[in-house]
Amino acid sequence: MRVVIAEDLALLREGLVALLRENEIEVVAQVQDAPALLRAIAGHEPDLAIVDVRLPPTYSDEGLLAAIEARRRQPALGVLVLSQYVETAYASELIGEDTAGIGYLLKERVGDVRAFLDALRRVAAGGTVLDRQVVAELLAPREGGEALSGLTTREREVLALMAEGRSNTAIAESLVVTSGAVEKHITNIFAKLDLPACDDNHRRVLAVLAYLRVAT
Amino acid sequence: MDLSLPAGVSPRRWMPVLAAGLSLGEYARSLVRRLAFLSAVLVAAIWALGGRGYFWPAWAWLGLGDLVLLDFAASWAWRQPRGAVRRVACVWAVVGVTAVILVFTWLLTWLLAGVETFWPGWALLGVATAGSAYSLIALQDRVLVARGRRALRARVDLLTRTRRQAVDAQAAELRRIERDLHDGAQARLVALTLQLGRAELRVHDQPEIRGLILDAQREAHHAIAELRDLARGIVPPLLADRGLVAAVESLAARYGLGTSIEVDTHRGLAPAVESAAYFVIAEALTNTAKHACAQRSWVALRDEHRMLAVVVGDDGCGGADAEGSGLAGLRARIEALDGSLRVDSPEAAGTVLEARLPCG
Repeated sequence: MRVVIAEDLALLREGLVALLRENEIEVVAQVQDAPALLRAIAGHEPDLAIVDVRLPPTYSDEGLLAAIEARRRQPALGVLVLSQYVETAYASELIGEDTAGIGYLLKERVGDVRAFLDALRRVAAGGTVLDRQVVAELLAPREGGEALSGLTTREREVLALMAEGRSNTAIAESLVVTSGAVEKHITNIFAKLDLPACDDNHRRVLAVLAYLRVAT
Repeated sequence: MDLSLPAGVSPRRWMPVLAAGLSLGEYARSLVRRLAFLSAVLVAAIWALGGRGYFWPAWAWLGLGDLVLLDFAASWAWRQPRGAVRRVACVWAVVGVTAVILVFTWLLTWLLAGVETFWPGWALLGVATAGSAYSLIALQDRVLVARGRRALRARVDLLTRTRRQAVDAQAAELRRIERDLHDGAQARLVALTLQLGRAELRVHDQPEIRGLILDAQREAHHAIAELRDLARGIVPPLLADRGLVAAVESLAARYGLGTSIEVDTHRGLAPAVESAAYFVIAEALTNTAKHACAQRSWVALRDEHRMLAVVVGDDGCGGADAEGSGLAGLRARIEALDGSLRVDSPEAAGTVLEARLPCG
């Protein structure tokens, strides 16, 4: 796997580079701002870009905008956006029309090294990973939000774990139930959210994203 | 010399004059003027019939003229504003009348008795000096008050300007602090958890050390979460990064009230104004979501002259407490910007919050 990193804080950037190299992931470029990121992606054609939302010079959302632009130019590129805070609006913009190869995580998730590396691999392989805080905000009960009102508490829990990109086995372990039970919950969720029975690839994440698009 | 009665009063019916609304003073004055005129004509006639000779009626005229002059001077002085100005006017009325009497008396002594020396000179100088000295003393206060008022106005202007500068500087400083928290302390803590994570990978076969590392990581996570909440309380990140409209849209989506947002403003907003507008909307939407049981809610931002008008409304149950702590806090925030806040929340007829914020 070949990775480009865009992060302005040297300490964190170097930590990430070291972490990836220790785990046999090739870091082909490390940059500090958005234009350099786009150049690096065009030059190196990596599998994955890890991008901080706030980059110089204005430290607002140029990292996010650069990530969206990079995806527009190279739809096959996996993009993992890291941020000090999560906004559902940002998640929605990042995902756009195509959920494949998108990740949006709080920065501090890098501390849980195994889960972080797993998320990297899944995004690079075309999966979708949303931070559990984004998912929690989306699933929070709210007035007027009817899309999820029909789900049971357990189904919501399963949906939240699905949105984080967990496998059925991982969900079953986390909730201390059998894989079969998880399967049943997922089938119920698909039915209640009225999702078309098409290809299986991202149907799990689509369950959350369908709701996300309704909400934002 | 004006000898007429006030308009609308017939000269032949003097008694009903009182009934027509004249005060006793005005009535007496008009009577005095008429009597003076009649007396002047009378003495002239007596002189003409009495064989003429030395023109003595001039002295009578002088006396009568003085009387009328005094009346006019006094009524002029009485029309001046009360207080020091009226007192000074009275003094100058006396000075003026005295001067006229002196000059005319001298004129008659010169014309009738051939006295050529201008004898009233020193007396005139004396009364004029006395009048001037009194005026200076009496009006000194007023001069000081006028200067005091000017100084006060300048001070209010200065305070208004510097308060706004202080509020703007504070808002800019808060944004800087928010950024520093995110990109400084918080980012360093993230780097720390990353290093701890890497260390943890290397000691996975030493449970004791691994436990210590995981504890340290947990603490770092708590610190990060606290910093994030702190920064969000200062300035919501979306407001800092994308401005008011994006932040309000996100807020409305979070509450899921189906809020309609109408934006008709094109000016760049100062951070202080932007934050105040945001917190007005946030407070209003929070109240709507909590208490209003509303079907519909709306937010409007528009330019009004040099103000930004922020209107947040719902069609819920109304009856909001305009003096409640949340709204009182908002009011203080808005008043620090010289803005205004109006809350209209009749029972069972919705709530409308309207804030006006000056934009310099």
